[in-house]
Amino acid sequence: MMQFFTANQALFDFFLLSLGFAYSQQIVLRAGVFSIATVGFVAIGAYLAGYLVTKSEFGGLPAILAATLVAGLGGLLLSVPLSRLRGVFQAIATLAFVEIVLNALYYLEPYTGGAMGMNRIPKLVESWHLLIAVAIVIYVVWSIGRSGIGRAWDAIRQDETVAACLGVSIRKYHTLAFVLSGAIGGLFGAMQGLYFYTITPEQFGFAMVVSVLTTIVLGGRATLAGPIAGALILAVLPEIARPLAENRLFLHGAILLAVIIFVPDGVGDLLVHKLRQRRNGTGRNMIGGETS
Amino acid sequence: MMLQQILNGIASGAVYALFALGFSLIFGVQRILNLAHGGVFMAGAFVSFYAVDTGVPFPLAILLAMVVAGLVSVLIDLIAIQPLRRRSHDIEYAAIVSTLGIDMMLISVAQQVSNTQVLRFPFGTFPIQFFTIFGLRISLLQLVIFAAVIVLTGGLGWYLNKTSFGRQIRAVAENPSTASLLGVSPSAVYLQTFFIAGALAGLTGVLIGLSFNSIHFLMGEPYMLKAFVVVVIGGLGSLTGAVAASLLLGVLQALAVAYLPTGVPDMLIFAILFLVLLVQPNGLFGAAGMAARVGRK
Repeated sequence: MMQFFTANQALFDFFLLSLGFAYSQQIVLRAGVFSIATVGFVAIGAYLAGYLVTKSEFGGLPAILAATLVAGLGGLLLSVPLSRLRGVFQAIATLAFVEIVLNALYYLEPYTGGAMGMNRIPKLVESWHLLIAVAIVIYVVWSIGRSGIGRAWDAIRQDETVAACLGVSIRKYHTLAFVLSGAIGGLFGAMQGLYFYTITPEQFGFAMVVSVLTTIVLGGRATLAGPIAGALILAVLPEIARPLAENRLFLHGAILLAVIIFVPDGVGDLLVHKLRQRRNGTGRNMIGGETS
Repeated sequence: MMLQQILNGIASGAVYALFALGFSLIFGVQRILNLAHGGVFMAGAFVSFYAVDTGVPFPLAILLAMVVAGLVSVLIDLIAIQPLRRRSHDIEYAAIVSTLGIDMMLISVAQQVSNTQVLRFPFGTFPIQFFTIFGLRISLLQLVIFAAVIVLTGGLGWYLNKTSFGRQIRAVAENPSTASLLGVSPSAVYLQTFFIAGALAGLTGVLIGLSFNSIHFLMGEPYMLKAFVVVVIGGLGSLTGAVAASLLLGVLQALAVAYLPTGVPDMLIFAILFLVLLVQPNGLFGAAGMAARVGRK
């Protein structure tokens, strides 16, 4: 068992990082917010942690905490304008946010290193740090999900009008989702920054937006298992499909298409749904169909 | 100098307009963001290149590019949109994902066809000629682009507003179920709009390939991002808005690139997009939209 882990450690760490990003993305989608701002938060977290560690002699943990806090604050600020928008307009606005962050990284060269990126960041994050961070995030998401907040999010996602009529404050719960998404994104961004020695702006471009969104589409938007399933598929797939390495992008696209047509709730959500059905002996859809 | 920049800006804005028209048309009628539009655009450029490469005369190559891009676009509707529509009415999220998947597939195919290389039209495919009018230099290609934009926008406006097909499209955009009660088949209309949008994207691909003399598999992405800016500023689904916003964006970008440090122009443009979304989510020209426009109610 141990041998398996050492042999596949890089893969395992990649899985943990993408799991963190996936939870950041899922939490907003779960609340019915069509935000794709996660990558912006990740970039902010990574650069802030990198800067604090290399230029201000921060330790690893304070830098990560600072990045989490700042990205969470970013989520709070972003939620103010975004709570006025819905659907595709939210998606476009958050994409604009990601692009603004990206271009700011190019422009603020004295601090970020511009297109060359930030180099020689000490590697302060090990696998078990990532594991702890993922465990904390899963615990937080799990406990929130079981509380009234989780139920409010599910209600808003499935039908905003009904939720509002039942006295759920849409704005409050959307803001909460944004803050959490920002904080989780910043946390894992910081960990990524302190893990890979170097960060460049192009890492945080449209390609990453797509890959984070893919994780959730594959896994599912509503359950704790969703991001795990999605991140697992994305981490393992390239290894299984190694003979098809040339066609990786094609395969990626085809899977995205097939999943959204045939398993619209995502693989993880579907499994949880089936399990619950079997346990409860009912045919009711417990996780809600696709409404967003 | 300044005037020259503005002229160049209008020229690139005109190209954005061709690209954004199709994107906006699809949103106006189907209310989905077609993220594969950039892929269709790239496919058009590829088809024209390989056609010219095998000796097809250039005008014919353009026509071929438009037809093939239109068919690719129709295929996208058949594969990625219709199955979703059969299942539910609310396909906003699902359609973004499925068209994104198609876009990735198109990019991957193009990457393999071209071996990840940048393709260039052979020298002399299009005559390089410059005219000087009132001290401004304008190339023959730019003139052709202006002409194409004017003719195609006008043609599309005429088609949507004056013909029976156009009335059908507008009826479906207004309300698909009512339209089908009146004997208009929504799926036929969807296929038609996808074909028109695809053909426009294909033409844009050829024109961009010519102006920058570079065709590669990732060329769609920056235009896709610009299209978002254009359709939001112009009002999602509004065709005149899309054209006006494209010209505005082109001029703004040309001036910003000329006078501001790197990184700032794009930041400025996306900040404007953000602001417009906050203040006027239906676009600055939203009210002036054609009937194909369907705002969020």
